[in-house]
Amino acid sequence: MDATDLTSLVDRCRAGDAAAWEAFVRRLQGRLFALAYSYAGDREDARDLAQEIFVRLYEARGQWPAGDEFLPWLFRVARNRSVDYLRRRSVRRPAVAVDEAAVAEVPDPAPGAEAQAIESDRRGLLHAALRGLSAINREIVILRDVHGLSVQQVASILGVPLGTVKSRASRARVELAARVMALSRGRGAA
Amino acid sequence: MSAITCDQARALMLDPEGSTADLAHRPDLTAHVAGCAGCQDWMHEFQRGALAWADVPAVDFTDEVLARTSGLETVMRDIPLLAEMDPGPGFAERVLLATSKNPAARGWRARVAAAWWTMVRRPRFAWEAAYVATVCWVLVFGNPVGAIEWSAANIGTVARERMAPPVREIRADLEAWRATLAPEPQAVGAGAAGPRADAPAVARIWQAAVEWMRQASSSVVEVIVRAWDAVAALLGAEPGDAGASTEPRDGPARSRQ
Repeated sequence: MDATDLTSLVDRCRAGDAAAWEAFVRRLQGRLFALAYSYAGDREDARDLAQEIFVRLYEARGQWPAGDEFLPWLFRVARNRSVDYLRRRSVRRPAVAVDEAAVAEVPDPAPGAEAQAIESDRRGLLHAALRGLSAINREIVILRDVHGLSVQQVASILGVPLGTVKSRASRARVELAARVMALSRGRGAA
Repeated sequence: MSAITCDQARALMLDPEGSTADLAHRPDLTAHVAGCAGCQDWMHEFQRGALAWADVPAVDFTDEVLARTSGLETVMRDIPLLAEMDPGPGFAERVLLATSKNPAARGWRARVAAAWWTMVRRPRFAWEAAYVATVCWVLVFGNPVGAIEWSAANIGTVARERMAPPVREIRADLEAWRATLAPEPQAVGAGAAGPRADAPAVARIWQAAVEWMRQASSSVVEVIVRAWDAVAALLGAEPGDAGASTEPRDGPARSRQ
């Protein structure tokens, strides 16, 4: 995503420009849905959660931070909403283990469908492996490695010391890799 | 040169064949081991063979090494796939409907209006409004039951006063109508009321039908007049009763709360 474009969009949204808000939603929907999916583990729940995040952003659009501070703030809001959502959902119904087959999206029978299917498969595998990590390790991987936030930003969002993020980040990656390999072997055997 | 952790250093010191890594070719590893007493001990123990797969099953060890090398590489290559996902068709429209295209989210005035309409559209709102209106009425005007009691006690008087003139007028109209419908007196020497014997058959039938209609109408009007007389008598619409007062008698006054 072009940072200049995003900054300009953010400024226009803060000024109450409805067209800019629509462009903002269309531009960030994939990213926020992916983040919501990492927390919710279910497409329908992730859609609801991503919508909640957008509604929260819209309600607070007058207070959006400008410039480089926007993205970390956005992820902080999204993360807090996700945690609230999971808390509410855990009261509503018991958490279910993610079925990695269900995680993989159904590929289109169109040209390039094979590549799309492979990509979807890899994504499903990663999601399933992520589910196996501890909550803090999972969040560190999602924020640091998936969404590219800095160690300082991750520490600030999660409210943990910088050293904790540094030490856990590398361990979490290795653990994730081990889980992906185990799942791949399991699939191969099946 | 990037710093490495103890776990990474220990993994680098191993390979699947069980030999130590060539420290001379890993300056980052050398630097780490030089500064970490724990890893130095671990390396010495390992070189003496004391660790020699005793603690770790081979399969776990292989997995660990693979996870730290090719597995990690694959994961780091694939992980950007998770940064964006397609939420499916119609998601942006759904969000817009819940935000900028939703009047409830446009501003405080719209929010207040939306809250008001939400409240008004509740099924119980009519009952609640009626309850509030009744309470206000009683507080402002007093107990409405007093007025109802007064009305019930005086309904006869009111009816007599208000109904007598129209009853008389309608009765007069009915009388006039009956006189109109009554058979006209026959001229002297005109013979019987029926059609002449030499009239055509159609004319005779028509005349008979007209006569029958006249008699039937007269009977109906007679019945109506009698019924109206009975009602008027019931209400006491005699001329002597028409001047009765409708002012409240000495009954219970409307009470105020």
